Amino acid sequence: MLLSDRVTGGAVAALGAAAAYVGAQLPPVPGQEVGPAAFPTLIGLLLILCGGLIAFGVGRSFEDEAEAAVEESEVAHGAPHAAPPTPLRSLKAALPPALLLFYVLAVDRLGFVPTTFLMIVAMVFAFGGRWRLALALGTIGPVAVHLVFYKLLRVPLPAGLLPMPWS
Amino acid sequence: MSTVLEALRMVAAPDVVLAILLSSIYGLVVGCLPGLSATMATALLVPVTFYLSPIAAIATIISASAMAIFSGDIPGTLLRIPGTPASAAYTDEAYAMTRKGRPELALGICLWFSAIGGIAGTISLVAMAPLLAEIAFSFSTYEYFWLGIMGLMCATLVARSSPVKAIASMLLGLLISCVGMENPGGVPRFTFGLTDLLGGIEAVPALVGAFAVSEVMRALLQPEPPKLAHRRFGSILAGQIALTKQYWKQMTRGNVIGIIIGVLPGAGADMAAWVSYAMAKKFSKEPQKFGTGHPEGLVEAGASNNASLASGWVPSLLFGIPGDTITAIAIGVLYMKGLNPGPTLFTERASSMYALYIIFLIANIIMIPLGIMMIRGTSHVMRAPRAAIMPVVLVCAAVGSFATGNNLSAVLIVAAFGIIGYVLEANGYPVAGMVLGIVMGSMVEQSFVTSLIKSDGSILPFFDRPVSAILAAMTFAALLWPVAIWLWGRPKAAKRAQPA
Repeated sequence: MLLSDRVTGGAVAALGAAAAYVGAQLPPVPGQEVGPAAFPTLIGLLLILCGGLIAFGVGRSFEDEAEAAVEESEVAHGAPHAAPPTPLRSLKAALPPALLLFYVLAVDRLGFVPTTFLMIVAMVFAFGGRWRLALALGTIGPVAVHLVFYKLLRVPLPAGLLPMPWS
Repeated sequence: MSTVLEALRMVAAPDVVLAILLSSIYGLVVGCLPGLSATMATALLVPVTFYLSPIAAIATIISASAMAIFSGDIPGTLLRIPGTPASAAYTDEAYAMTRKGRPELALGICLWFSAIGGIAGTISLVAMAPLLAEIAFSFSTYEYFWLGIMGLMCATLVARSSPVKAIASMLLGLLISCVGMENPGGVPRFTFGLTDLLGGIEAVPALVGAFAVSEVMRALLQPEPPKLAHRRFGSILAGQIALTKQYWKQMTRGNVIGIIIGVLPGAGADMAAWVSYAMAKKFSKEPQKFGTGHPEGLVEAGASNNASLASGWVPSLLFGIPGDTITAIAIGVLYMKGLNPGPTLFTERASSMYALYIIFLIANIIMIPLGIMMIRGTSHVMRAPRAAIMPVVLVCAAVGSFATGNNLSAVLIVAAFGIIGYVLEANGYPVAGMVLGIVMGSMVEQSFVTSLIKSDGSILPFFDRPVSAILAAMTFAALLWPVAIWLWGRPKAAKRAQPA
């Protein structure tokens, strides 16, 4: 559990309110009662309802049951228990989206192979891999992916600083 | 007859044969890696299908998903980590068999009854689809609206979480589908002035983000799964014929339940496996043996989840309403390849449909030899550390989504949906509901608005047409079901809370 139901339920309700408000102001199609505003407004109102129910803990008992069943079976089989995530450790999860953002910003300048080399090296280390694996995977992976997507599937991947012999 | 021959000719094309073989191997390998689900395997394949012929593209999706659903049983049996959610229902049972020293029997059951289930599902697809197509011709936007809503409601029922949260995440998906200009008025909605959002949020990058990237994010915070000791397996198929004879009743029941659940829009292999396992236990003569490595439940659930995979294509092909997340992806591929789902598909593109049936049969037949090879080689595949797999998955997610439109904004969508998927899942909001909402949103909205325009804003026609009324009743039943369970369970919980 990351956030309390009050917080997520409130967020859902706020999103619903925003959607209903913005949705209701969409211009109608002249001469018709029902237009582009109807659906988002309806969804927004339903989201407000759901958010409210969640914030007040309705449906919570279903989750408790599911969690209890999982825990019970984990205890019974001695499954490895994850260390409780500290705020610093949870930040690690932000690495993949951050690397995708890096890809978007860098790929046109650096080129496909250098950019993905850096991504792979960073990911290997984040998973606790060694230098040898990082270098090997970082060299072979991007070249192989480039070969398949550029040569076979004709996706225009930018060459950048390091053009491949087949590009 | 000529259409069947035409279909055979289509399937025998070299590119199709190669596509079936390669995607089968891909599906087996990815499905067997813990943490990489069958849906993720299929989502990562979609960009590749862009560049294939229509039949080869569909063959890729069918064979990869069928193999991945079976292959998910392997890590479940050997390590007690289900490779895909569809295997989770009977993982404990299969693992108990491994601990008794009979892993080859457990894996053999999974393989053999998966293949039989898949073939049974295919037969049901062949038999049912044209019949239902006849009925579907009389469907109007009212029926399509209810079918869509019912599919979404079933998806929220399957989620083993709070039903309110499941509905909230489904609504979120519908809201996301509103983004862009593809709406009844053609006005830009929720685009925040960004041109990249005018075309709406593409389903494929959203799927890849929600299923692949969020999975990589979660893996970063979890400890590495235990290593598999190298072991040599005995004969995989030994004793399966005897089991088939002994448990033919369970097998047939599993097949039938799987087919029925698959045909329901929104419910797929995961639900089929859970329901069938519970059913096997309930009707068994020896329920006390369940959970201790007893084949009965494995037979029924294994037969069920693969049967639902094939019959899940019925609503997808007929109405464009996905049976589960895998067919949700498949529908995107069908549209892309000009095989727009709908009843006319069965009259106008009959040979393509026959080709699809044939591919299903081939995939389930070659599943047996390829599956045996996979089981034998599994200890090598599963020795690959996550540090070697997850980085490649991330790069494939980036390249694959870029390839959907040669547009870098798709990669941003992948990143955004990775975060959304991760946050939702961590807080108990099931992601599958959101994804189905995104995929079905525009269809639901279109049928909703068109219906309202036709009826001059009255909601009566939504209920007074016969088929509409039945579908509406089923939808409300799905909505009220959790409430009933809650009311029924409350006195019990209160009794438990009181000290005796």
